[in-house]
Amino acid sequence: MSSRRSRASVSEEEINELISRLQTLLPNARRRGGSQASTTKLLKETCSYIKSLHREVDDLSDRLSDLMSTMDHNSPGAEIIRSLLR
Amino acid sequence: MARCQQGTMESLCQGLLDLDDDKFGAMCSAFGYLQEWPDLTAMCGASLAAPGGVAPPVTGDGNESSSCSGSGGGGFRKRRPDAYLDAKGDGNDTSKRPKGKQQQPCGLGEIAAPGKGKQEKPKGGTKKKAEAASTAAGEKTDYIHVRARRGQATDSHSLAERVRRERISERMRYLQELVPGCSKVTGKAGMLDEIINYVQSLQKQVEFLSMKIAVSNPVVSFDIVEDLFGRQLKQACSPGALPAMALPGGQLEPSCLQMSPMQQVHPSAAACSNGFGLDMVVSNMYQPAGASCPVSAATPVTAAAGPSIEPCLNVNGAAAAWDIGSQNLFSGFDAQFQSVESDCLLDNLKMEM
Repeated sequence: MSSRRSRASVSEEEINELISRLQTLLPNARRRGGSQASTTKLLKETCSYIKSLHREVDDLSDRLSDLMSTMDHNSPGAEIIRSLLR
Repeated sequence: MARCQQGTMESLCQGLLDLDDDKFGAMCSAFGYLQEWPDLTAMCGASLAAPGGVAPPVTGDGNESSSCSGSGGGGFRKRRPDAYLDAKGDGNDTSKRPKGKQQQPCGLGEIAAPGKGKQEKPKGGTKKKAEAASTAAGEKTDYIHVRARRGQATDSHSLAERVRRERISERMRYLQELVPGCSKVTGKAGMLDEIINYVQSLQKQVEFLSMKIAVSNPVVSFDIVEDLFGRQLKQACSPGALPAMALPGGQLEPSCLQMSPMQQVHPSAAACSNGFGLDMVVSNMYQPAGASCPVSAATPVTAAAGPSIEPCLNVNGAAAAWDIGSQNLFSGFDAQFQSVESDCLLDNLKMEM
């Protein structure tokens, strides 16, 4: 039992460390300035943050592909850029 | 009160243990049926509660007893008054309730446990419906029905902790769906690790894409560049981040990661401006902005670019590669600025300001 408890506490520590690392990644947590928020709230924020990142990535890829398609017509160096950016 | 409750529970359990298997099965199925048809449950509960003349919370217990009498037989009719008593006891002190409840499955043993679990669910549901204005404590006691069955601790702290853990694991499951490859990893630590990596990679991806767009069309997406620099500026200058910057190693990591897309981009930025046939001014990045742009536009450009870039370079000290990268980038911008009418540019910049 005691060994189990110690193992649990080790993993608990590990998890706490990971949680705080996750907290530094979130934009809201950075603003809050180090105060330890509840894990539930943190995970909730992570969910929404991941979703917003997904949206951002999609949006940006769309914009990039749009730019690429429009660039074909009006600039001579477009292929060079495209080949380099790929 | 709790003692008295316990006593009645014991007798009740004895009654239940006398059940033979087919009766028990019928009982279970009846519970399942009642669970599926809440209307019926409510109806039965109401009709059975009526003679007792007791308030709404009893309806839950009423349907419990109705199901028993439907399947069990004579011995079970006794149950109704017991249930009422139980309900009254609950009404009087909710803190004692879990203990009373917990006694049941222990006494019933293995056979009665699943039936008991089913019993409690509809009861809790109707109870919640009946007590519209239930307090937070009341909600917690609803959790106990299901949670504290197997001889777990029932004091308020452990209950709150259990609820909290429940919520966390729910969130984790949700995150598991969001993060690809996370379902393979077992254990919370591994999952968190995976989530952190995924968030970082997404952040990198976003920055990289913004840089790509910024490089391929500087005027349109000037805001992105500024946003990017602004974000790094915020990060660099926030009081929390400054000590982190001074420390080498792990804590520096996020900021490094955020810069790497920039460094990846910079050769292509150079090539881009070469492709446009530009002569690059390597000496000072602020001079070309003033020189090549119309005079009216020159000040906004420096105003917009100056404060956002300089601190980044100072703080990070990632000097050489960065310097060249941004210089090339901005000489690219200058070329574009020249080709665009100055008032359009001014509008853009005003929007930025």
